[in-house]
Amino acid sequence: MLKIEHLKKHYGNFSLDCSLEVQQGCVTGLVGQNGAGKSTTFKAVLGLVSADGGSVTVLGKDLQNFTPEDREDLGIVLSDSGFSGYLTARDIIPVLKNMYRHFDYQFFLEQIQKFQLPLDKRIKDFSTGMKNKLKVIVAISHNAKLLMLDEPTAGLDVIARDELLEMLREFMEQDEERSILISSHISSDLETLCDDIYMIDNGQVVLHEDTDVLLGSYALLKVNKEQYRKLDKQFIVCSKKESYGYSCLTNQKQYYIENYPAIAIEKGAIDEVITMMIRGQKS
Amino acid sequence: MKGLLVKDFKLIKEQKNFFFIIIAITASTVAFSDDTSFILGFLPFVLSMFTLSTISYDEFDNGNAFLFTLPISRTGYTIEKYCLALMLGISALVFATFLAIISSMLKGTADVLEIVMAAVIVLPVLIVIQAVMIPFHLKFGGEKGRLALIGVFGMFFIIIAATVKAAEMLGIDIQDITSHLPVASMGMMVTIMLVVAFIILLLSMRISNSIMNNKEF
Repeated sequence: MLKIEHLKKHYGNFSLDCSLEVQQGCVTGLVGQNGAGKSTTFKAVLGLVSADGGSVTVLGKDLQNFTPEDREDLGIVLSDSGFSGYLTARDIIPVLKNMYRHFDYQFFLEQIQKFQLPLDKRIKDFSTGMKNKLKVIVAISHNAKLLMLDEPTAGLDVIARDELLEMLREFMEQDEERSILISSHISSDLETLCDDIYMIDNGQVVLHEDTDVLLGSYALLKVNKEQYRKLDKQFIVCSKKESYGYSCLTNQKQYYIENYPAIAIEKGAIDEVITMMIRGQKS
Repeated sequence: MKGLLVKDFKLIKEQKNFFFIIIAITASTVAFSDDTSFILGFLPFVLSMFTLSTISYDEFDNGNAFLFTLPISRTGYTIEKYCLALMLGISALVFATFLAIISSMLKGTADVLEIVMAAVIVLPVLIVIQAVMIPFHLKFGGEKGRLALIGVFGMFFIIIAATVKAAEMLGIDIQDITSHLPVASMGMMVTIMLVVAFIILLLSMRISNSIMNNKEF
């Protein structure tokens, strides 16, 4: 559905060099800190900024040959941009009707009602949660094959975040061929949604793993200096010095459970993995 | 393009108060002044300005980034802005001409041919002004675009004034020449003006297209 190979973009001190792939029927997450390069990746893929190198294939087509008609198969949410705040939800209905051949008016209205969004209020007067919900509704209401969602959950409370993720699950359930690329700097909300996760730091992909593997096989080992010295480090991805000794990230939790029963082992959550991958020292 | 036009008309609807003020100025000019030619220039130029305000609305809050993820091309966006400017300008000119004709007929002040001729001369000027304004606005945005435009129009008027002054010094009376042109020559002059205006418009569209294609959002 989407293949990015060594997509490059340079801004002053920042350099992006990103490769990733979104498979058909999959939800792929892109996680990383603010400024890690998530939005730049989205913008380069969408042609909003010119890439300095690399190749992008969207829905089997090279980005250079992507036509406005092809864009009808994409549903896009950008973190820092949307329809003009001076328009209302009612105003954008005829706009979408005239832009997308497959715009589903009934579905759009149902979703607006379901999430109690006002039809006649200017978008700029919406709360952050309402704005993001509207952005996602717009993205999913024209039978898109690929959704690209940049930080759709940023600034949302827990309930709004759950509702939004539920919307995306329903979107995926309707057609097995659909795919989603979703970015976030809050990774916990992606744990239940994504099939695989790419971790990006300072413009580089530092980790790509299936979510099941990430949650099942990754773990944090908390060891003192003596335990660290004796530890078999062949399955340690990276480690970090702590006041009590070291915390070590492993991608073979079971190996250490079986061979080092005395060691404190914490189940790996994506946030911890990110922290370790960014702050820790590679083994 | 239809979707973009719909969006722009929805945005223009947001400025209905400004629109009513323009209509009020036009109506009071028609009612209280014998010089109906004023509205022929005023209404089309001011209504064309709404095109520029839609460009500002698009840019506001980085809105362009999302806009260009929709199924439109940057060239399509550029063409749409020119179409909108022409639609607004020409329909306002037609409306103003009818208004001026009705008003002068009721007052018995001017003859219809004179008003139509004035309107026909306004058209190429209107097209050229749009051709200058749109690329400036696309390139520099709302605030800087306005400043750049003031500079350009300032230069334009200085050149006109200098030409008139130079003609005066050489003993050529431009007004006398234009007022004594036979109707056939006048028609030819307007045709030439229109052709030149459209060539400038096409050049302007090319420049705007290149501006938009080089922009990053």
